[in-house]
Amino acid sequence: MMKALGPLSRRRFLTASASLGIGTMAAPYVARADDPTLRITGWGGKWGEVMKAEIGPAFESEFKCKLQIDSAFPYLPKLQASSRSAPIYDVMHTNSNEQWAAAEMGLVEPKIDAKLVPNLADVYPYAISDKIVGVSIFTSAIGLGMRTDKGYSGVTSWKELWDAKYNGVRGGYVIPVNSLGQAFLMMCGTLFGKGQLDLDAAYMALEKLKPIKIVDFTGAMEKMLLSGEVGMCVIHDSGIYRYDGQNQPTDFVSPSEGVLSLEQVLTITPGSKMKELANAYVNYMLRPEVQKRLAETVWYSPANKKVKLDAKYDAKLLTTPEKVSKLIQVDWKWYNERKDEIDQRVNRIFRA
Amino acid sequence: MSSTATTRPNGLALFILPSALLFALFFFLPIGLMAVMSVLTGNPVVMPKVAFTTRHYARMIGDPFYLEVIWTTIRIGLVTTLVALLIGYPLAHWMARIKSRTGHALLLMAVLAPMLTGIVVRTFAWMTLLSDKGVINQTLISLGLISQPLKLMYTETGIVVGLVHIYVPFMVLTLTGVIGRIDERLEQAAENLGASPLRAFLEVTLPLSLPGILAGSLLVFALAISAYVTPILLGGFQIMTLPILIYQQISANFNVGFAAALGIILLMISLLLVIAYNRALGLVSGQRELQ
Repeated sequence: MMKALGPLSRRRFLTASASLGIGTMAAPYVARADDPTLRITGWGGKWGEVMKAEIGPAFESEFKCKLQIDSAFPYLPKLQASSRSAPIYDVMHTNSNEQWAAAEMGLVEPKIDAKLVPNLADVYPYAISDKIVGVSIFTSAIGLGMRTDKGYSGVTSWKELWDAKYNGVRGGYVIPVNSLGQAFLMMCGTLFGKGQLDLDAAYMALEKLKPIKIVDFTGAMEKMLLSGEVGMCVIHDSGIYRYDGQNQPTDFVSPSEGVLSLEQVLTITPGSKMKELANAYVNYMLRPEVQKRLAETVWYSPANKKVKLDAKYDAKLLTTPEKVSKLIQVDWKWYNERKDEIDQRVNRIFRA
Repeated sequence: MSSTATTRPNGLALFILPSALLFALFFFLPIGLMAVMSVLTGNPVVMPKVAFTTRHYARMIGDPFYLEVIWTTIRIGLVTTLVALLIGYPLAHWMARIKSRTGHALLLMAVLAPMLTGIVVRTFAWMTLLSDKGVINQTLISLGLISQPLKLMYTETGIVVGLVHIYVPFMVLTLTGVIGRIDERLEQAAENLGASPLRAFLEVTLPLSLPGILAGSLLVFALAISAYVTPILLGGFQIMTLPILIYQQISANFNVGFAAALGIILLMISLLLVIAYNRALGLVSGQRELQ
């Protein structure tokens, strides 16, 4: 005999509604509670949006796992503070200079195993060169960004950044904390001295670069350039191209001396308990279709040689061996060994 | 006689226990760990061989750059405190002595209103005013008063302006309470005895409000020397202060030991100030030191 339900009181209704609501919200998490979790780092902005909306969920679905992305920079101090045997991340995505520091501290594995990551066979040589820890999945070209509405036409060389006409509208970076700033310092050695390692020449060049407005992140530089606060600056191509179609009076210049490489590098932590999944993630990020989608969203040049970008992107990004050959890679191992000394010196140089 | 009285927990102690635990866990423990890290060669939790060292402190003392950074931090703190006091005292005096309830409420709202907006937002607002393309420079240029933008940002003055705006409410609120408790009849008595209003203020109100001045100054100074967002945004990284240097050491140099040593120095500056405050308060209160 079926027991009759009592009348629906307000309390019962509210309890049932709350349970239903919590159940609905929790259902996906409960259903996937047993799924393995891969903890990675990643940028915010457009990169974060496309990762969250498309790339991440597709990976989770294919590999039956959860992707936990930390986009709260800086990542390395957090990894540094976590246990070696149970690191906070399985895969770390950051720029090459930090990856080298992490490798030196034994926090990440210096190389990716090509047997476990088949797509490694298709990357440009720079992506796994001796200047790289792990694998570079994308790169940007560091060059000059300029306003096109101020009559600064005909810029072809890095050295034009030193032209007195840019006094007051020249932009650079806080070298101790910014990869572009550090790479640019090495470029100064090449431009005015015996090569990348000529720090004295670089320091002299930086002294002559003042007055200069300096920022910590490229996003801040983009905004200064867009607002006209800065007219000529060091920037990566993505920081200019991402405003394509918005009629912004800005342009990217690839200097004749070459462009510096700003690599987006993936490494795996030695203590990760998800090694198989970590390698699968690295391999996934190197897939042509994933590379194409991300490259065309954030304007990063893909590391996979097989990627065919749409004409608009192909024209501007580094997608051929000839274009890639223009990239100048920095010896971050050498740089990091001298970082304290360099930081002290440049902090003094740029002090008001 | 045997004591039969059982020791029962004090009810007040039970109320204090959660906050004491919170204080121990989130204040003493982190500071203790920071002090330990500042004299170690690495993190003992994750590194097998760690030894005691004084190198972080030696580096700080041995390089004039770090001493200059410490002095810059103290200088910005002192100037901010002084300016906040000069702006805050008259306002606090007015608030404490205003007869109209509505007037008091309006003044209180005016003082508290900036605190309803985040520090980052307020600092960005100052950037839109002080930058080369900001309101002030563009107005002056459009009026033909200047041809090149004035250097308002990326200077210590710019930082002080931002910090004063943020910390004046702390000074005002501290001072208002103290000034409000001063018996107005004391001033009136001084004036009845022939003192001018200025002299009555200088010889009666001002000395009696010294505890408030000291407390407000201590609060503003401690907040100003530990500020990070405003010095970094308005200083454009060209004015190096201790908090910026600490962040740089952790986020980019991964040198936790040196960052901890810098943190201890920052703490020591604040502690010295608290000790000086206690002594000064003792002196103005007619005691040698506070018990």
